[in-house]
Amino acid sequence: MTDRLSDVDIGVDSLLETAPCGFVAFADDGTIRAANATLRDMLGFDRDELQGRRIESILNIGSRIFYQTHFFPLVKLHGRAEEIFLLLRSKGGDDVATLCNAVRRQRGGEWITDCVLMRVRERQKFEDALLRAKKAAEEANEQLELQAMELEMSEQQLLEQGEELERQRALAEDANRAKSAFLATMSHELRTPLNAIGGYVQLLELGIQGPITEKQADSLARISRAHRHLLRLINDVLNLARIEAGRVEYNVAACNLKELADAVLPMVEPQLQSRGIRYSLDIRPDLTAYADHEKVQQILLNLLSNATKFTPTNGSVAVTGSVDGERGERVRLVVRDTGVGIPAERLARVFEPFVQVDDSHARRAEGSGLGLAISRDLARGMGGNLTAESEVNVGSVFTLTLPALLPA
Amino acid sequence: MDTSVLTRNNVRVFGQGTQPMLFAHGFGCDQNMWRFVTPAFADDYKIVVFDYVGSGKSDLNRYDPERYSTLSGYAEDVLDIVRALDLREIVFVGHSVSSMIGLLAAHQEPDRFARLIMVGPSPRYINDPPYVGGFDRKDIEGLLETMEKNYIGWANFLAPAIMKNADRPELSRELEESFCSTDPVIARRFAEATFFADNRADLPGVLVPSLIMQCSDDLIAPFDVGEYLHRTMPNSTLRVLEATGHCPHMSHPEETIAVIREYLSAR
Repeated sequence: MTDRLSDVDIGVDSLLETAPCGFVAFADDGTIRAANATLRDMLGFDRDELQGRRIESILNIGSRIFYQTHFFPLVKLHGRAEEIFLLLRSKGGDDVATLCNAVRRQRGGEWITDCVLMRVRERQKFEDALLRAKKAAEEANEQLELQAMELEMSEQQLLEQGEELERQRALAEDANRAKSAFLATMSHELRTPLNAIGGYVQLLELGIQGPITEKQADSLARISRAHRHLLRLINDVLNLARIEAGRVEYNVAACNLKELADAVLPMVEPQLQSRGIRYSLDIRPDLTAYADHEKVQQILLNLLSNATKFTPTNGSVAVTGSVDGERGERVRLVVRDTGVGIPAERLARVFEPFVQVDDSHARRAEGSGLGLAISRDLARGMGGNLTAESEVNVGSVFTLTLPALLPA
Repeated sequence: MDTSVLTRNNVRVFGQGTQPMLFAHGFGCDQNMWRFVTPAFADDYKIVVFDYVGSGKSDLNRYDPERYSTLSGYAEDVLDIVRALDLREIVFVGHSVSSMIGLLAAHQEPDRFARLIMVGPSPRYINDPPYVGGFDRKDIEGLLETMEKNYIGWANFLAPAIMKNADRPELSRELEESFCSTDPVIARRFAEATFFADNRADLPGVLVPSLIMQCSDDLIAPFDVGEYLHRTMPNSTLRVLEATGHCPHMSHPEETIAVIREYLSAR
């Protein structure tokens, strides 16, 4: 059949003419030597209309480039090409999708490329859908990668914000430390002239620098009171500042609480007696805390003077001591009064610096408002705590806990 | 000598002469496309052929999407080879897009190039009125689509062929020779670098004498384009071939050889 075909001028016999696929034969320079009826019908050309045309003229433009860059080199170098997708162009200018198999061989004295062209319709739809799906998947993937990048960026931003917060916190801490250091220094500087005032008042009162009149003595007494008040305020400020600046040292040792309470009593006894307040003490003689003796004394004095200050005439103040904790690892010292009490909404703030229960109390009771803040800071500094409970017009209970001295 | 470049670009050197003739393949194929032409010059020249990275038997591991997204990356391949072999007095023969790649290389190192022979060149494929390149953007998109479709087809019958490789090594060799670039992503990028390029501004700056081989009835590089090149490039010679199509070195090797030979002997 191949021999017969090469002998026939038009290049196709009757069988090939109507075979269910397009057929075209062209020379190396692209000139069409033969085409069958199926291809002519596919493209809408009349008999003999294709012969002599260039093969590119029946390809759409994209396929023309593909023919020159891929298809022709392939058949020229390899002798054949298989399953090549080509979009043909019909006489009317429509695209016709085909799959092409081609063989290049010498025939009738020249090199001819024989091509069969299968029309693809449904298959092309599937391929188009496939390509679309592939593109969509690629786009989705790009989107995902973009989102991943954004996530990474926001994570980075969060990290940076965290670092910024940390920087600001450090700055605030530095500022607070600087403030405390300033207060500590200033309090110290204030105390020096204040001590001079106190000293010279005493000298004048004693008449060492000459006799004084009664009126002058009265004035000196007022100056002296004001001096003591101011000194206490400054001492409180100094103490708090020292604690906050972390400049307090605790000399922790065994600390007998009964002895300690007995030692504090004389300091508040005059006020207790002058106002007819009953005082009771209930501490086992061997109750021992592991704490700084001087600081516990300071706390207890503060609690007792507060209790005395806010308890009306004929009231009572009671100090009790006990062991606390499952294994007796803590001791508890409780100061209970029958005073004016603290309203619930104020109770939470009594340990804040510069807070007194209210203005009227502040006026009635002298003080810096730092006592409780200092006391709690000291208690915590020793590994203990200071808490308060209260009921208005019934009284207040302040509880100091401290580490116990456990038997070795 | 940087031998890694020679493996990377699958460089082959042969011939009896001393003056180098460097043949650069076009988009869609590899150095094999020169095999009908190179033997004719092997007696008088040192023939150098190669594959661009991403084409033929180049080292695909060395493919850098960034570098090869424009023609200057391909020009770097040419310069790497030229430097590795220390080629001078080069007769550069470039097909299609390689004409412009050679032009860019000559821009970088004009002293190494003696002649630029351009087979079916075009400085810009897309029309830019009044400039006529021959194509609209959608035509190029049509090409990209056709390429994509064909990679579906190729994948279909490449798969069983590769499976059979073990007991039929000759088949794999055949396939390797058939498919100039088998990676669709690389091929697409090369197509975009080629067909979306605009090298018109580079034309006047190259003084290396050049031969523009313009085919008759070339759909990819129409006659107007050849004329434009000749007008714009100093020291250029325009020869219109009887050969039709875009690959005269494959379809009409005798005429191609004769025209090149005539040009080279006329200097």
